[in-house]
Amino acid sequence: MAEPARALRDPVERPEFEHAGIGAANTADVARPLSLFERLSNVDPVRKFTVLLSVIVLWEVYTRAANVPPLIFPTFQDTVVALWRGFADYGLGGQIWASMSLLLTGYAIGLAIGAMLSFIAVSSRFGSDVLGTLTAMLNPLPAIALLPLALIWFGLGPKSLVFVLLHSIVWPVALNTHTGFMSVAEPLRMVGRNYGLRNVRYVAKILIPAAFPSILAGLKLGWAFAWRTLIAAELVFGAATQGGGLGWFIFASRNEMDIPGAFAGLLTVILIGFVVENVIFRNIEQRTVVRWGMHT
Amino acid sequence: MSEQAVGAAPAGAAPAVAPILEVQGVTLQYKTKDHLITATYRVGFQVYPADRFVLLGPSGCGKSTLLKGVAGFMRPVEGEMRLKGRRIEGPGPDRVMVFQEFDQLLPWKTVRQNITFALVNGGRCAREADADEIAMTYIRKVKLTGFENTYPHMLSGGMKQRVAIARGMAMEPDILLMDEPFASLDALTRRQMQEELLGLWDDTRFTVLFVTQSIEEALLVGSRILVLSPHPGQVKAELNANRHSHANLGSPEFVALQTRIHDMLFADRVLEQEAVPRG
Repeated sequence: MAEPARALRDPVERPEFEHAGIGAANTADVARPLSLFERLSNVDPVRKFTVLLSVIVLWEVYTRAANVPPLIFPTFQDTVVALWRGFADYGLGGQIWASMSLLLTGYAIGLAIGAMLSFIAVSSRFGSDVLGTLTAMLNPLPAIALLPLALIWFGLGPKSLVFVLLHSIVWPVALNTHTGFMSVAEPLRMVGRNYGLRNVRYVAKILIPAAFPSILAGLKLGWAFAWRTLIAAELVFGAATQGGGLGWFIFASRNEMDIPGAFAGLLTVILIGFVVENVIFRNIEQRTVVRWGMHT
Repeated sequence: MSEQAVGAAPAGAAPAVAPILEVQGVTLQYKTKDHLITATYRVGFQVYPADRFVLLGPSGCGKSTLLKGVAGFMRPVEGEMRLKGRRIEGPGPDRVMVFQEFDQLLPWKTVRQNITFALVNGGRCAREADADEIAMTYIRKVKLTGFENTYPHMLSGGMKQRVAIARGMAMEPDILLMDEPFASLDALTRRQMQEELLGLWDDTRFTVLFVTQSIEEALLVGSRILVLSPHPGQVKAELNANRHSHANLGSPEFVALQTRIHDMLFADRVLEQEAVPRG
């Protein structure tokens, strides 16, 4: 099949023109303020709160309308009442404190170890290989799987829990910090050295801030792992020792068939997790990587 | 022996002033994953005070590597480099580098803090307050007044390069090293930045070593041009470009020099994708 012949044409010649002066645009919509609804629906928390509210309403309406037995799934109202009773009568506040102080201890020690490991890793190729291999080996191991052994090594006490927490914090923190250090842009490194920064000052003034998005991601991941591990560990551990903590509170409530109490415990776990991840970490993020335009 | 003499000024023509930077028979090599690359082979040149000395050549001629050598990030395997008579041993704030990449600014510091960071850590200022004053002076010079508290990610490419230039100039180094600083900018901004750089030079007459692969830019910005041939980089010629500027861009004289350099670089090789349009 031959292609249909097409005439080769020149561009059409047209007269040139130039506007002497450009007047005001003849439209009112150059910058029109948005309506209140449009502006409200642009606010992230407003939209998310709406979702939350709908879930609660749905929960309350369904459990009431379908007459779900409170022993299976209590209403939202019962849960809130149980939460209140938990604080007032069953020492829920103390259990939260027990969990949090353990977690913070573990977090602090974990960060120190993680920082040390990434410092070793960044200072030599061998160190980098050590960290890489260790992380690849140990990171996939769920921390909670170590609890039975930890109980033998460290006995029934907070030491075992802290050990398990460390395992869930150290690897993500060290890995992310190291990755962050390695991916600092070459010009930035050269700028640091150009202005005479070496060793500790170089790490503190160039590497850490430049790697901060990655470091922060590691901190968040470490926190998330640790929080989940802690609750799980307390469930097991509390069962073994009548110990304490939020996990134990949930376990004990269930044992006494206080299902709203167990729900109240779960709600507390969610609330704390939410506050840390969406208020504390979000805030740090806004003040650092978002302000610096380094978030991805 | 004649190779050793490449780049040495012809006898009897040496100016009375001492050069700021002396590069003699420098061979630079670096390793990639599979190869040891010789970037420059026995390159030599002298930069004198207030020179706008341009290293010009196609990609692969080692001009950026040469600049890194002068900055102290690389050591020559052969030959030596001297700044004001002292052998260059490592990076230092007496030679400030301005890069092509926009991420040479510290994103966690504002425009002003980027400059004071350099001044304080580079040892030019002991007190933050003194550094602030100098920083503001140079922010004014590069026409960024009003942006001193802005973080770099809010700036356009041209503005970021202006901050980098201000930071480099504020250090008042013996020599300012510029590695294709305008190559990532759009054509209009690039033209404007070239003019502004020349304006700044008129003000303070600093010494600059400028790397580019654009013949036009070399003629516009440079007062003296070192033409390098690629693979490995060797000195092809050293030319005067003091008479050329934006004012005579496109004049027969300008085009003649442009063509001369172009032929020098490309006459003896088959043009690949790096072909540069003439004039």
